[in-house]
Amino acid sequence: MIIEAGGQPPAFLRLSMGQALANEGDLLHVVTNDNISTRRIAFGRAIVWGSAAVLALTGLTQTLQETGLAGFGYSNWRPTLYAYILWAVCLCWSQVLIRGEQGKRTLFVLPAALFVISMVVFPLLFGLVIAFSDWNLSSPTGRTFNGLDNIRQMWRDPFYWNALTNMVWYSLAILVEYAIAFGLALLLNSQIRARKFFRVAFLMPLMLSPVAVSWMIGKSMMEVRFGPVARLARELGWEQPSFFGSPELARASIMIMDAWTFIPFMMIMILAGLQAIPKEVQEAAKVDGANAWRGFWEVTFPLMLPVSITAILIRIIFKLKLADIIITVTSGGPGGATDSVTSFIFREYRDRSNVGYGTLLAMVYLVLIVIAMTILMKIAERWMRPQY
Amino acid sequence: MKIEDYNRAVSMGMTRRRLLQTAAGIGGVAALGGLGLGGGMAFAQDNLRAEILKIPGVGAGSPTDADWQKVGEMCLGATRANVAEGEFAGVELTFMGLNNQNQHNVLFRGFLKAWETYTGAKINWVDLAQADYNARLQQSIATGTVDFDVIEMGAPFEGDTAGRGLLSEMPDWVKQQIDMDDYVGYLKAPVGTWDGKTYRISIDGDCHTFAYRKDYFDNADFKAAWTSEGNSGDFGVPATWQQVQATTKFLKGKKDPLTGLDAHGYLDPLKGWGGFGFYFLESRATAYAKHPDNAAWLFDPDTMKPYVNNPAFVRAIQDVMDVMPAQPADQINADPGTTAFQQFLAGTGSMISWWGDVGSNARTSDSSVVGDVVGFSILPGSDDVYNNATGQWDTLPSGPNYAPNMAYIGWGVYVMSRVDSDEKKHKAAWSCAAHLGGKDIALWMAAYPSGFQPYRNSQFNYPEWVAAGYDEAFVEDYLGSNLDSYNHPNAAIEPRIPGIFQYYSVAEDELAKGFAGQYKSAQETADAIAAAWEKITDQIGRDSQVKLYKASLGM
Repeated sequence: MIIEAGGQPPAFLRLSMGQALANEGDLLHVVTNDNISTRRIAFGRAIVWGSAAVLALTGLTQTLQETGLAGFGYSNWRPTLYAYILWAVCLCWSQVLIRGEQGKRTLFVLPAALFVISMVVFPLLFGLVIAFSDWNLSSPTGRTFNGLDNIRQMWRDPFYWNALTNMVWYSLAILVEYAIAFGLALLLNSQIRARKFFRVAFLMPLMLSPVAVSWMIGKSMMEVRFGPVARLARELGWEQPSFFGSPELARASIMIMDAWTFIPFMMIMILAGLQAIPKEVQEAAKVDGANAWRGFWEVTFPLMLPVSITAILIRIIFKLKLADIIITVTSGGPGGATDSVTSFIFREYRDRSNVGYGTLLAMVYLVLIVIAMTILMKIAERWMRPQY
Repeated sequence: MKIEDYNRAVSMGMTRRRLLQTAAGIGGVAALGGLGLGGGMAFAQDNLRAEILKIPGVGAGSPTDADWQKVGEMCLGATRANVAEGEFAGVELTFMGLNNQNQHNVLFRGFLKAWETYTGAKINWVDLAQADYNARLQQSIATGTVDFDVIEMGAPFEGDTAGRGLLSEMPDWVKQQIDMDDYVGYLKAPVGTWDGKTYRISIDGDCHTFAYRKDYFDNADFKAAWTSEGNSGDFGVPATWQQVQATTKFLKGKKDPLTGLDAHGYLDPLKGWGGFGFYFLESRATAYAKHPDNAAWLFDPDTMKPYVNNPAFVRAIQDVMDVMPAQPADQINADPGTTAFQQFLAGTGSMISWWGDVGSNARTSDSSVVGDVVGFSILPGSDDVYNNATGQWDTLPSGPNYAPNMAYIGWGVYVMSRVDSDEKKHKAAWSCAAHLGGKDIALWMAAYPSGFQPYRNSQFNYPEWVAAGYDEAFVEDYLGSNLDSYNHPNAAIEPRIPGIFQYYSVAEDELAKGFAGQYKSAQETADAIAAAWEKITDQIGRDSQVKLYKASLGM
């Protein structure tokens, strides 16, 4: 029998094998047949339910102590943590005890799933609780539930809306970044001298930390008195150069610095896409009489759409997290003109210890991002479909 | 000394510095006489102070760990007197502090090496970057996980810690060991105390002083132009904010005598600095807002109603707005770090308010070009001062009102109350803190890079500095401005209430909007700050803030 490299036998063989082995189980995927005794199954169930009971009991008593209803002498939450770990271990073990071979397969995923639940889902739920709380770290009363007050406060907070508006501008700048990145990728994809050198050189900004970029460029090169960019501007006739003085200019300067860092990222993705396009397609277009302009718009660009959309979507996600350059260079100024949502939350949360409100802002922002990205992906899907 | 007497003496022509020097001199002689110190003991003490100042020696490069250890060992005398050798064997202490610029905790490690060897105690270190400090401390407090016994902390956090009973009260033997009477005026009670109990060992002093360029104010061309442009009086170092305003406007369009670039007057940082930027508006406002009859100047101590939108602060904000056209280009993007280190020390601008770093860097930093032309004084005063009780501007009979801004008050070492239950550990923690807060070690810390500034009157003994290799005129000028501020009878001391930096941080955001022209006026800007402050007060708890504010004022 010949089985292809992928491990799957041809369809006709599979059909006959399936018929022949129908009564003996899925021998292709099952190594042994488990003979699991009922005592083993009972033991498996016992440990999982037993440990679950321990976890529930510990959690309950600790909650009672936390709420002041009863005292059990716990000094911290570690007992519940240990009970959770015990339950997690018992749950994994019971899979093998109860389901044998099948259970072992579950073990490939279950610990990771439990880890994700404890490290992502649980904190997220805890974060939601904080988001609907009045919690200023300096307040002697600690955290108190305050319902929708934080949402009302957000609704009336001009700083948050200002930051959201700025994010729209910042995100729109991605279109320009994309055009530049596409141009650079085309350039690097063509037969130019020192192509490998330029590929590395163009990637350099991406390798720099945004904080380093902030200091090197924003605070040194663009320094108005001695910075080389300012000197050049003076040479060119701009008497009092100021890159962060007016709101529009400051926002543009931040956009340019951020673009300089991340255009290489889009460029490299597009370049990879360009290199994946079969040469024959463009050659065929040439044979058909298409000039370079039409060749680009009607062949290269449509073929590049999937890569482009991916690059733009990832770039938007990066952009929505923009904070480091802003915090370092302008602190959101002048007058909030360059503030991003993240840099505003940073101030609210860290400088003002306003944990409840800061968490709510972050949660709302997360929801906004998820919604916006879903819509964008749907639209992108529709755009791309007719091209094939 | 009564403020009226002080101001009268000053107006009679006695400089503020000379007056205080005289007073300190008389006090010092009286103290020596009263105590009847024997010549031998005094000599031994003087000798120790002179000896430690030789480590490693001024101009001999930056001190190293070996130097810190040596100084720590030489200053162990006070510990030996109070603690038997090996008394703390088996005790482990956790010390939380900063690691800024490889100083603070890094320095303390060296200082405490000999202390550990002698007492037998062991110290575990928690080093934090400045940026992480606030969050780490507040999270520890809020989640009830104080995991340190001794902490290096700024006075503004006393509200968060002492106000919640987290600090250990200082035993009397420590007060004697560190000679608290030697502290400069503003660091004496009520600072460092809560409800009459003492908690703080000071290791640092902090205040804003006024630095100016002597070459501007000695410049003959400027003097001539000042008169020909019809300004009143002579052109000289401004003594009031009214004069600072006039001088700043006058200098617009002129050329800097040192660099030949555009001349500028007073430099205002217009960008926030994680809350620290608000100190600079305060420095402009204290002379208007801190009335000699009222210790409170930022909040009403009975209601926590902010004073920040009263006419005094509005005038200070308006002052900033008025001279914005005379500031260097892009000033809207200049934070306090920029105004001090990239502008003033690099030769841009002629006047600035800052902490002592400007003085210590003017001569020693490679990037400073103003070392030979910089002068210092206490913050300018004001011809009139706002009276919150009457709602009127008062003109004091004694002359202009001065109110130096004790911005940040300074670092201290505190012991946490969690050691109180263990007598041995309690004594060990306080002995450790007292070693760092000792009188002799303080002199060394002020004279060498340590991250700390003088905070004791004994640190202002200029001959000691001169003997160690410092330039006399410079030391007198620079240290004198600090001493005059510290001991000023009308010093503006910031409220040590929980969350004070939250107030500053939100004020910076609103000020930035005001300076960017998003509010119609200075009053509207100030009202926005006041509204945001009221919100913070309500969130933290108005009643508890009132109680703690009063406690911090010693009311």
